[in-house]
Amino acid sequence: MHPPERSMHPLKQYWLAEELERDLGDPCNPESVMSFKQVIELDELEAFPEAELTWLYNWKLHHYYIPTNCGGEFTSFEEFIAFVRVMSRRDLTTSISFTTLFWSFLTWMAGTDEQKQELAQFMKDMSGAMCLSYSERAHGSDLLAGDVTATKVPGGYLLNGEKWPINRATISGVTFVLAKTDAEAGSRSLSLFMVKKAELDPATYSNLPKIKTHGIRGSDMSGIRFDDCFIPEKMRLGKEGVGLELALKGFQITRALCAAFSQGAADTALRTTLKFTLGRQLYGKTVFDIPHPRRTLVDAFLDILICDCANIGAGRGFHVVPEQFSVWSAVVKYFVTVTLEKMVQDVSVVLGARYYMREEHDFGIFQKVMRDNAIISVFDGSSIVNLHSLILQRRHLAKFRARRDAQSMEAIATRLQTTFTLDQPVPQFAPERLELFSRGADDVLQGLEIALEQLQALEPPDLEPEVLEQIEALTHAVLAELNAQDDFLGTAAFEHGHDQSPESFELAKKYCTLHAAAACVHMWLHNRKTLGEFFANGRWLALSLRRLLVAVNPALDLPPRLDDEPLAQELLRLYGEDRMFSIVPFQLAKSEVQENPIHAITELQLQAQ
Amino acid sequence: MQLQNSSSKPSDVLVQADLAQENSEAIAIETIQTWIVNQLAKQLSLSAPSIKVEEPLTRYGLDSIDSVTIVGDMEDWLGVDLPSTLLWDYPTIQKAATYLVQEMNIAPGAIASEPETPVQPTKETVGKWSLWGRGK
Repeated sequence: MHPPERSMHPLKQYWLAEELERDLGDPCNPESVMSFKQVIELDELEAFPEAELTWLYNWKLHHYYIPTNCGGEFTSFEEFIAFVRVMSRRDLTTSISFTTLFWSFLTWMAGTDEQKQELAQFMKDMSGAMCLSYSERAHGSDLLAGDVTATKVPGGYLLNGEKWPINRATISGVTFVLAKTDAEAGSRSLSLFMVKKAELDPATYSNLPKIKTHGIRGSDMSGIRFDDCFIPEKMRLGKEGVGLELALKGFQITRALCAAFSQGAADTALRTTLKFTLGRQLYGKTVFDIPHPRRTLVDAFLDILICDCANIGAGRGFHVVPEQFSVWSAVVKYFVTVTLEKMVQDVSVVLGARYYMREEHDFGIFQKVMRDNAIISVFDGSSIVNLHSLILQRRHLAKFRARRDAQSMEAIATRLQTTFTLDQPVPQFAPERLELFSRGADDVLQGLEIALEQLQALEPPDLEPEVLEQIEALTHAVLAELNAQDDFLGTAAFEHGHDQSPESFELAKKYCTLHAAAACVHMWLHNRKTLGEFFANGRWLALSLRRLLVAVNPALDLPPRLDDEPLAQELLRLYGEDRMFSIVPFQLAKSEVQENPIHAITELQLQAQ
Repeated sequence: MQLQNSSSKPSDVLVQADLAQENSEAIAIETIQTWIVNQLAKQLSLSAPSIKVEEPLTRYGLDSIDSVTIVGDMEDWLGVDLPSTLLWDYPTIQKAATYLVQEMNIAPGAIASEPETPVQPTKETVGKWSLWGRGK
């Protein structure tokens, strides 16, 4: 299966990311495109990454945001997540500015053939970019409260009002505008418009000044104002009144994909810190040889692997169970971004004072990663919005789970197999199957009993008995926590609306953590024979499950932590071979300058023997 | 009655059939309205009489996603698939119930007599995976 000559990953959905890596080059080399040196300089200048974006367009990466049936190259969200990680590990400013292109999925989902063709041409022929004009200064996440109106006039609408803060509001040719078409129609009061700025009277709209931000400082964070701005009827997506429905479904796509930004940032945070620990000598040994920093970095590696299972599972799940994404997307957007934010904070301790410096070690990339990454859990639906959405669905999840029968379990088992087996193809993404509400379905957690059955069928000798026992015991513990939560919800009072109790938010957070744990188990079970020896061994899984359960319920009586030395060794191997810290450790650009890693690795291996 | 009926003109029969249909429709609408009112009263800790069928549901603090999940409850009760945006398009209890009966032909016979099944503590039987429902 291995392609000849190059050491590309056997899974072809990772080839695009590997090619992009190769062509971008080592980010530590100042001569590379999007090198750390270059992106730090742009950040200091708060400059929009114009040249970097042009390079990506010239590379034709934008074609991978357009589905093949609309004339592009997009086929797989798993592939999409991988290449967004490649961009994001270098520079979130560029990655986020480029990836506003994913708002095109609104048109791929709801547009007419003509609208799809028009947008594809705009993207491909004009290197077009877009932005999402939903937010308003006074209304936070309350979309229905928006004040921007679209008043019907012959041939179209007049737009009035202001959208703010909007990423790429100024430097974009298309803006997706959510506007009120009938103030009395409640959830049907909004309509969505794909507005091509080139077709507007320039006197009727204007851009608001750039907003200075804590991170992604070069971004075009600004706003747009409309004053009796005429837009023709053909710019409306879908029927009048379907704006909120399209907006919520569109978010299901983009929220899950946002996790890939965090994953790229997390890789750099860990890689640059590991590099530092390997090159720095304290008390007669490298920092990595000191137990506490090593444990911190191993735990960070675990966090990345856990988030991989959740997010790669979701990337593939889009193709298999799009109707469940009111749940999956909220889980992933909350869990992955918040977990990796904390992970970056955790490893900052190891870097010490240098984490705070805007130069020094790797051109000061760490502090930029930390600032940039902090917005991912906030934009495109904040943690609170995602948890709230889960709370409202949580009772149905419990109800649906209680009703499963042999037939529905067989169906869940089949879907999980397709979703989590990475060397199996996935069906074409069908955005028309997205639903506002999963009706209580969440295969990942509702298939836990299936995973337990599969675990029971596994037999040593190809597995260490101690590891397998722990995986089984810990998976049982995950199930027990889920059962306890479901039982509690069966008796608890249920609240509608926006006055949910803080306790409900805590329960929703735990649900996300349990979902991630189940995703790890499914991922392992379905890929033990294809993702290499380290993955197959399962020690990482036992350690991950333990880590997640401690977070869910610190009072649990869990088995002791397994020796994590093999994880430290794997971390070093991936670092030494320039591979992504991932369950799919695809090839990164070869690093050209390494600061004494070989010496440290040798020393560590000797110690381990 | 039979004699009268059999001697009636065809148009009278139609009128009576229409009346009977209207009556059964009215009962069905009433049944659905009462169910939604009781459901909301329970979930919102309000008294049933305080919920007016002709008021928009948003009046009771429900947001857009709440409305969608209530449709989920209605599906469970009625045993039929409904558009998840039903309460967006028919935003009062009265409008939604009328739509279900008149446009989706949901008849009294189609309505289960049992109230909604409460969430059970986790079942012990989930097909062949039943043994694994409760840990070691």
